[in-house]
Amino acid sequence: MRRYELMVILDPALEERTVATSLDPFLGVIKSDGGSVEKVDVWGRRRLAYDIQKKSEGIYTVIDLTAEPATVKELDRQLNLNETILRTKVIRPEVH
Amino acid sequence: MAKPPPRKPKKKVCLFCQEKISYVDYKDTALLRKFISDRGKIRARRVTGNCTQHQRDVATAIKNAREMALLPYTSTAR
Repeated sequence: MRRYELMVILDPALEERTVATSLDPFLGVIKSDGGSVEKVDVWGRRRLAYDIQKKSEGIYTVIDLTAEPATVKELDRQLNLNETILRTKVIRPEVH
Repeated sequence: MAKPPPRKPKKKVCLFCQEKISYVDYKDTALLRKFISDRGKIRARRVTGNCTQHQRDVATAIKNAREMALLPYTSTAR
């Protein structure tokens, strides 16, 4: 098991309050594989430094979790399939 | 012709070694902005005064922040 930090940029058209609940089904993958989600931090709407998919804003979310490498890979794959998610980044803070 | 007096530049000390910060967070844009120029370029080590390892960490953090649109790749501040 490893600790990961996942950052997600969501479509600004979404409602900010519903973001945490809309991410829940994705995080279900982690729980069913024996991992755990420590923290879901919704930063809220933020201006992007440059346009992504013609959008100049995004809703930033940072998720701390512990899971197996393969589980995180699968989570990242599923997130990228969703059209309301502009970008994701998985980082292992300990390595750096 | 007398030679100009030799310059004694003040030796800068790495900010991160001073503050004992071991992990440079890519989410801390306020800190990282100190290490980019107004054009968005990463400042050189001779400008920032960082040590080798921390300059490398800062560069990686800036690049990660750029990927997540927290910092610009370029900015036309001119």
